[in-house]
Amino acid sequence: MDTSNPAAFVNAELLRMYVGRRVRAVIQVLRNDGGSIFGKSTDEQELVVKGHPPNPPTTFVEVIGIADSNRSIQAEIWTNFGDNFDVSSYNTICQLANGDFKHLFI
Amino acid sequence: MYGNSQFDGSAAFSGGGFMPSQAIPTADPSSPAKSREAQGLLPLTVKQIREVFQASDDKANFLIDGVSVNNVKLVGLLFEKTERVTDVSFVLDDGTGRIDCHRWVQESLDTKEMELLSNGTYIKVHGHLKGFQGVKQLVVYSVRRITDYNEIPNHVAECIYVHCYNTRTRKMQDAPQATGQLPNPAVNTPSKGYQPTSSNHSQFSVQPIVDGMKGIDKIVLNYIEQPSCIGKENGIHRAELAKQLNVPEHKIMEAISSLESEGLIYATVDEFHFKSTVNG
Repeated sequence: MDTSNPAAFVNAELLRMYVGRRVRAVIQVLRNDGGSIFGKSTDEQELVVKGHPPNPPTTFVEVIGIADSNRSIQAEIWTNFGDNFDVSSYNTICQLANGDFKHLFI
Repeated sequence: MYGNSQFDGSAAFSGGGFMPSQAIPTADPSSPAKSREAQGLLPLTVKQIREVFQASDDKANFLIDGVSVNNVKLVGLLFEKTERVTDVSFVLDDGTGRIDCHRWVQESLDTKEMELLSNGTYIKVHGHLKGFQGVKQLVVYSVRRITDYNEIPNHVAECIYVHCYNTRTRKMQDAPQATGQLPNPAVNTPSKGYQPTSSNHSQFSVQPIVDGMKGIDKIVLNYIEQPSCIGKENGIHRAELAKQLNVPEHKIMEAISSLESEGLIYATVDEFHFKSTVNG
């Protein structure tokens, strides 16, 4: 059992709080150049995710990795989340998991 | 050889069949109902499990938010899967931490279910939390691949909801029943959770839900829960509700359908008569 390296739920807004730390985010893919993905975060801002995206990526992908800067993530794990995903609930979860209920997650 | 033996009903129906033996707290004769309540499935994060309070050396005794924990539900990524002849072990990473899981494979169904899964897939597990020499691990009895990824935020929302429910109920009732039954957050099966325990006043177990109710729902429920209404075999007609409460009938119908979907009332002889699920 190990909770030393959690990945925080983030949207673009929350990403800036975790620069240099492990995060997880769901991105809507806008452009994929093979080495990185340009996409929209769940709070509708543009993010860059570096690494090796799945081939082909679905509309939504989840990335777990290290927050590079307040606009980019260096991904370690990619998961295709399909073409139907409720972005607004995920975004709410991000806010809750970093707000009153942070102690349940990180 | 069968001639003498008497059929021991209590042993046969004591629930041994499907339940892990640890889950039957024979050492707790004070409240026989509790053994069933403790079987609830608790949605949790690994972080919550790490901070779990082990009440005693008794393996079956963990407390989270004041509720004893036996069966848990977790959602996360599967890693380090190792298949052996009798069991499969793996690590579940839900983003808050990692926990070791163990699954016994006895039947081909178990084997098949595990074969479908490879490292790095999102899974939902149901299992039994165990502590052994200070190390917590999960003995899982269901491992399903996640196909709809909305289940992940949904699970997180459930964890938050249940945490709130349990911490709030505990604050509200300082009674010995504080370990209150956990309602299954999936709305379609609330009935078990809301039934009062015999010694408890019905208001207590219903309270947390009543709080979040709209005015009319609450008025209707209060009326239906009156002893005089509970006493009527067929329940109460919705026209009578409208008349007695002086509320238009369509409002009554809205309230009735929402109370019905919460499992607080049910239709009796026809679709016009209703009764409270909290009966004496």
